[in-house]
Amino acid sequence: MRFQRDVLIDELYELARHDKDIYFLSADFGAPSLDRFREDLADQFLHVGISEQNMIDMAAGMALSGKKVYVYAMGPFITLRCLEQLKCSLAQMNLPVTVISVGLGLGYADAGPTHYATEDLACLRSIVNCEVYTPSDTSTVVMLARLTSQKPAFRVLRLDRNGMERLYENDVSIERGVHEIQSGERVAVFSCGYVLQRMWMNWTALCDGANIGLVDVFCNKPINLEGIKPLLEKYESIITVEEQCLAGGFGSSILEVVSDLGMNNPVKRLGLAERYYFENGGRDRLLDTFGLSTEAVSAMIRAC
Amino acid sequence: MSLHLQIKQKAAWLRQELFEMFLRARQGHPGSVFSQIEITAVLYYGGVLKYKHGDPAWPDRDKVIVSKGHATMGLYPILSDFGYFPEEELAKYGSGEGILRIFGNITIPGIEVTTGSLAHGQGVGAGFAYSSKKDRSNCKTFVIISEGEMYEGSVWETALFASHHKLDNLILVIDRNRNIILGDTEDLVGLSPVEDKWRAFGWDTYTVDGHSIEELLDAFRQANNTNGKPKVIVANTVKGKGSSIMEHRPEWHYWQGMTDDEIDFTRRELRETP
Repeated sequence: MRFQRDVLIDELYELARHDKDIYFLSADFGAPSLDRFREDLADQFLHVGISEQNMIDMAAGMALSGKKVYVYAMGPFITLRCLEQLKCSLAQMNLPVTVISVGLGLGYADAGPTHYATEDLACLRSIVNCEVYTPSDTSTVVMLARLTSQKPAFRVLRLDRNGMERLYENDVSIERGVHEIQSGERVAVFSCGYVLQRMWMNWTALCDGANIGLVDVFCNKPINLEGIKPLLEKYESIITVEEQCLAGGFGSSILEVVSDLGMNNPVKRLGLAERYYFENGGRDRLLDTFGLSTEAVSAMIRAC
Repeated sequence: MSLHLQIKQKAAWLRQELFEMFLRARQGHPGSVFSQIEITAVLYYGGVLKYKHGDPAWPDRDKVIVSKGHATMGLYPILSDFGYFPEEELAKYGSGEGILRIFGNITIPGIEVTTGSLAHGQGVGAGFAYSSKKDRSNCKTFVIISEGEMYEGSVWETALFASHHKLDNLILVIDRNRNIILGDTEDLVGLSPVEDKWRAFGWDTYTVDGHSIEELLDAFRQANNTNGKPKVIVANTVKGKGSSIMEHRPEWHYWQGMTDDEIDFTRRELRETP
């Protein structure tokens, strides 16, 4: 098990050693892997202060100057706090900057809603020119590091705070944006990120003897229609599971695709209720308590 | 002809040209455009900027960002004069047929940064300036902001950053025309003392009459150094400068429309502006 941010930064470290145009900007957010980057590649690392807005505007200027820029901070602050900078400086000029957002959903439990990112996907999905990825394991993070370096674009990588397992052995296409982890019959769960991995670790109990499909939609925007269409066609019923408030989030994106493709599959959404979470107990307990338990998903499957 | 007189003539030409553009488009922000005329005239015609005629992408050019995007159109006649796009475009300003928009964006040759929403220009400018330092280039970045942008917190994030990183190649010009949409800044939420604030953040400051060619030329000359400090020129200006109908009138932030008599009067006035 490794932290996605360490996997990403280690890969970027190797890339940056050979590409002096790569710059890594942090708004006072660290990682063990970043310590090595900061020490060995000091010329390519920049601490901007706790100033997410300036960091994004700065990144725009650096990208316009030909640099490959990575900006890095905690999820809620590098998205909603500087949403206007993402729109005006990166999206409007469509600049090749990679935004690394760490801590999805209730990842920073029990810090409370200021530190949770439960609305960011809906906001990011609405930004023009913005590609959004939520990798569900560590192997896709390595591929994303290479993609961002080889084909720079305005992207947001939503990484988890917790350690994650490697789920794939070079059998995932990053361009395809979706991957069927488990083939099933009739019903499939579509998800991404920590909650997907969490379900996969409890898959036998969750399916309760049924043959259920599991689909990783790690590219949230743009969703590759050619990639996802066969999987939507394959299943009669779709269940979406996300660690976000439901309004405009992951489930909404799947509903949009189903509608746009003129399909009629029923899509049922599981996610966080639209409220802020001040309760203690740790992330998994909160997820269990507030609608994303194994039993809740199983019940939804049985109802399909 | 002296440099001073040449710039003065360019400033007068700019006001006349831009007034005709406002008239044709019946929209825009004349108050803010007219207050910055001498600033841009000195920048572009006073030997301050490095540029290459006809080549807006020349790698060694200095950068100019009009962070107050509503005043970007004040650059269009200059950019055309520099051979970046045909003069005929000026006649099509704001129309469906032209490339020139009310707010500038990077699809227009010579516009370095898309602006509009306030207080992004200096952050992007700091990105240019930091990159120039990294590339060991001596290119400079000039950012024109309205004083109203100082209300936005991100301005001060950039102020801290630029000072810490010794971005002496970043020159900010504050067009301090005292008026925002609803009135005088000092009456609404006071910004004074402006210079003290910037000095406290570690910037070199220069305060000038923003309509004085001599004072602006002198400030840009003084700011042309590598002492490790970013620079800010506080240019005290008059909103709508040059038109007695517009001067000091907050409503002329936006184009208000004029009668035929007012148009004739303003044309005469702009021709006669010393």
